[in-house]
Amino acid sequence: MNRTLSIVVRRLGSLVATLVVMSFIIFLLVEIMPGDVAQMILGQSATPEAVASLREARGLDDPLMQRYGRWVSGVVVGDLGESIYMQGVAINSILWRRVGHSVLLAMTAFIMFVPLSIFFGVLAGVKENKLSDSIISFFGLATMALPEFVSGVILITVFAVQLQWLPIVSVIPIGESIWQNLSILFLPALSITFVMFGYISRMQRSSMITVMNSDYVRAAILKGMPRKYVIFKHALKNALLPTITIIGMNMGWLFGGLIVVETLFGFPGMGSLLMTAIKTRDVPLIEACVLLITAIYALSTMITDIMYSYLNPRIRFQGGQR
Amino acid sequence: MKYILYQLKKHPLAIVGIAVIIFWLIMAFIGPAMLNFTHTQIDSENQIVGPGVNGHLLGTDSLGRDILARVVYGSRSILTVALLTSILSTFIGVILGFTAGYFGGKTDTIFLRSMDILMAIPPLVLSMVILGILGDSTIVSLTLIVSIAFVPATARVSRGVLLTEKSQEYVSAARIRGENHIYIMFVEILPNTTGPIIVEATARFAYSIMMVASLGFLGVGLQPPTPDWGMMVIENKPVIAQAPWAVLFPAIAIASLVIAISIFSDFVSKVLIHER
Repeated sequence: MNRTLSIVVRRLGSLVATLVVMSFIIFLLVEIMPGDVAQMILGQSATPEAVASLREARGLDDPLMQRYGRWVSGVVVGDLGESIYMQGVAINSILWRRVGHSVLLAMTAFIMFVPLSIFFGVLAGVKENKLSDSIISFFGLATMALPEFVSGVILITVFAVQLQWLPIVSVIPIGESIWQNLSILFLPALSITFVMFGYISRMQRSSMITVMNSDYVRAAILKGMPRKYVIFKHALKNALLPTITIIGMNMGWLFGGLIVVETLFGFPGMGSLLMTAIKTRDVPLIEACVLLITAIYALSTMITDIMYSYLNPRIRFQGGQR
Repeated sequence: MKYILYQLKKHPLAIVGIAVIIFWLIMAFIGPAMLNFTHTQIDSENQIVGPGVNGHLLGTDSLGRDILARVVYGSRSILTVALLTSILSTFIGVILGFTAGYFGGKTDTIFLRSMDILMAIPPLVLSMVILGILGDSTIVSLTLIVSIAFVPATARVSRGVLLTEKSQEYVSAARIRGENHIYIMFVEILPNTTGPIIVEATARFAYSIMMVASLGFLGVGLQPPTPDWGMMVIENKPVIAQAPWAVLFPAIAIASLVIAISIFSDFVSKVLIHER
């Protein structure tokens, strides 16, 4: 398992480098851009003295490197700092609930799109160039191209406006938890499913076609084994490998998609929190969200790589290059 | 030319895709001149009216602005930005990828590491955060930031195709002839790699449309009064129950354009790569 270890070490190294570079760029950008956070909190009518004293209290007048250093040393011990815009609320107290919601949404989408797209991808691959293949492939191409909010509004119009089965917005009433409002997850998750379906089913289709044309599958069919058995026991095992990579590679799109979908539905997740943070120029909150997204993203690609090398004996045993 | 016609006959869907793209290009060029309303004109007597009422072919939004005019105007900005983005990101990608792949060694390592850093953040998140902080996006800033977010992908593709060409004999012949590196990279190698690079650029075009639309939707794209399809969707989402047309038509516009470009780029890759 040497290779796994080297993947983990390399990825963690590049993750740390990324986080340092990225967080510094964000600090710098906010620094050089016009607009004053203290002024924003107090409003346009605030006196210059009030603004100055708020800047003083929040430590906004310290040199850039000093503020950056203070932030980094906080993060290292798990303190993400305080939100500037929300009057000094600890970020740790708002962020994690939101992250939980987003994770739940992502999981719901994941449970929906992975089996669906693999199933239809296999079907299209087995029925290559037949009608069902054409339909699935075109549907995949179309949904893959649509941004999440486009499929989202179409879904809203159909299921929420016309049929009124599901809510138009995905907000959680005050005082209730997400578990009492599970129905709000469905439409956002379905919007994400649409996009992912295209990528994964197309990949699954082409890898299925390659495998179905390979010698060992032909041998199994000629041997007189039942076709179902050959497809699911022999072919699928090998055809799943590229799909797993594609799923991992698309985790990035999934995160972008989460932000879009959360904004569309008003879903109280990490993405909409990041949106608010950007609009209010809340540096610590932006930093915290970006930090977390990057970390989760890196972790998921790392897991994909490890799974891939684990599932592919050629890589596992030889430690060869991909 | 004959070959392209033959291929088009084999892939009838591609004709539909190209037709839709041409339709939007025409709309962008001469569309606004054919309309009764401008994109910012507020018709206060016809707020939230449905399609076809009082000359508003696609209805109006809650301010009384004509949806058709806004959709047609919106095609200009999104096509401009997406086209510029796919050209610019491919251009930067080719230069970076070729340089890294050609010289190899340390240059290559530095290139790969910095691309790792850029790729560690999802492209949409990256451009959204930077554009959001910069504020007041213009066509220039939007194009630049989205291009940068796309560079890792285009540069990796360019580096890959260069590496397959690098060991060819004509490259060493040019080297022995005493040509300089830049000449070898861009005059000797580049013409032999146009296929995959054009395929990547057309795919980027589709991604750019998606990205620009999403950024507009998130409110960090082009700023009002420039109509932006993505922005129109989120602006009118609160009234979706009363005026679904105000949301659906810009959404359909995005959908038709993106799907058409995807079909087109699929076709290009089939013609240029698989069926040579």
